[in-house]
Amino acid sequence: MGRIWALAYNTYREAVRDRVLYSILFFGIGVIALSLVMQEITVGDRDKVVRSVAQGAIAAFASIISMFLGISLVFKEVERKTVYTILSKPISRWTFVLGKYLGMMMTLAVQVAVMMVVYTVLLTAQQSFPPSVVFVGAILLMFELMLLTAWATLFSTYSAPTTAAAFTLAVFIIGHLADDIWVFGSQLENPVAVEISRILYWALPNFEIFNIRQYAVHELPIPWDQVMGSMAYGVCYTAAVLGLAMLVFERRDLK
Amino acid sequence: MTAAITTKNLGKIYRVGFFMRRVEGLRGLDLEVGTGEAFGFIGPNGAGKTTTIKILMGLQTQTSGTAQLFGVDVGEASAREKVGFLPERPYFYEHLTAREVLHFYGQLSQMDRELCSDRVEMLLERVQLTRFADITLGKYSKGMLQRVGLCQTLLHDPELLVLDEPMSGLDPVGRALVRDLILEQREAGKTVFFSSHILADVEAICDRVAILVGGELRACGAIKDVVADRESLESVLVGEMTRVVDESALGVL
Repeated sequence: MGRIWALAYNTYREAVRDRVLYSILFFGIGVIALSLVMQEITVGDRDKVVRSVAQGAIAAFASIISMFLGISLVFKEVERKTVYTILSKPISRWTFVLGKYLGMMMTLAVQVAVMMVVYTVLLTAQQSFPPSVVFVGAILLMFELMLLTAWATLFSTYSAPTTAAAFTLAVFIIGHLADDIWVFGSQLENPVAVEISRILYWALPNFEIFNIRQYAVHELPIPWDQVMGSMAYGVCYTAAVLGLAMLVFERRDLK
Repeated sequence: MTAAITTKNLGKIYRVGFFMRRVEGLRGLDLEVGTGEAFGFIGPNGAGKTTTIKILMGLQTQTSGTAQLFGVDVGEASAREKVGFLPERPYFYEHLTAREVLHFYGQLSQMDRELCSDRVEMLLERVQLTRFADITLGKYSKGMLQRVGLCQTLLHDPELLVLDEPMSGLDPVGRALVRDLILEQREAGKTVFFSSHILADVEAICDRVAILVGGELRACGAIKDVVADRESLESVLVGEMTRVVDESALGVL
């Protein structure tokens, strides 16, 4: 456990000292702050528009950070050969992957927390203190990031960042359109095509089940069934993808 | 007594290019390095030295044969418990300072925190890096990084040191420092296994030497036995390289 923590903390420390990370974070905070200005230029339910844009910005920028850091998480270590001295210690490869992944999740948790604090302060100043559904939504966002980062980690164990970026982005987009695969599949007449669409639906990640922003924006009661179900889904799916990442890295020859 | 390093019929085949062409990196390597020995591993570029070291460190998997460190198969993480490894041109996290990186390696070796701090300070002092210890490694020169590399190698006071070209890219002062450190370790009874192109260093440090050419072991033994009636270790190495070229030419004919 000590070794996993050492790897995780080191990954976190290395990430938070990277200036690129701050550029993305500050840009995210900027968009959150700007969303408050939208109240002045929006017609209709102005408060809801502000909440929707700000919460969307938090999710979008957290996903960008997740993909940006995740795609090079393991590959960079191999490419820069920092992995040589680490794996020469009595550390198994799965420990290395898990430690790096947890460090990445620590980094993301801090980024999301910073954006949430900015959002809460600004929203309290302009409207009122956000209801608890907003914070539950942020926790679910962390579960979504957990899964997205696991995919990025998997790709980074065997491919270069550009390829990993393309794959992760594809997973991200498909994961947000997963419900559409089900809907379109239902409208098909060919039973084989219907079956394929069902298999794809269950095999590919569904990021939309982590999305309860409509509840947060409209300040509705917390949908506990969806929250608990998506958390369980997130944990199981992440464990499977991360397990695969460990397996791939275990078998890799480090040139 | 269990040998520090044992390889039996160790082989490695790489698959390269689009058509997965077969390239033999290492062929039937039998090696035994006893504890407390200073062992030099020499050969030209592409001889298979780094491949052997990477297999020993669990960074690559052998295609055939076995390799053990202190009797434990190199596939097990525990085989590396008593090992300190310095790769050729070591790389570290550039946003961390030397002190932070060394504490990190101490944690990976599960060292006692207090002991780790003492060893970090002692080693930084020994390699003359104390006043640069809080500067991030991204600002270090190649020679300074090599010294940090040596510190991480020695930090947990390992029984076996595996050094891949430890003098590579160092200035004369740096080379002397590294050589002295290796000699100190040898005097302390540690096993030192190192590859180098600088044969003078090998002759000065090692008890025994192995010559690897074209992935094959060409000679192994005490330096005086390997040199025998020839001029120097260099002439032996050049002779073996020439013989390999001649043998390949005969194979073609």
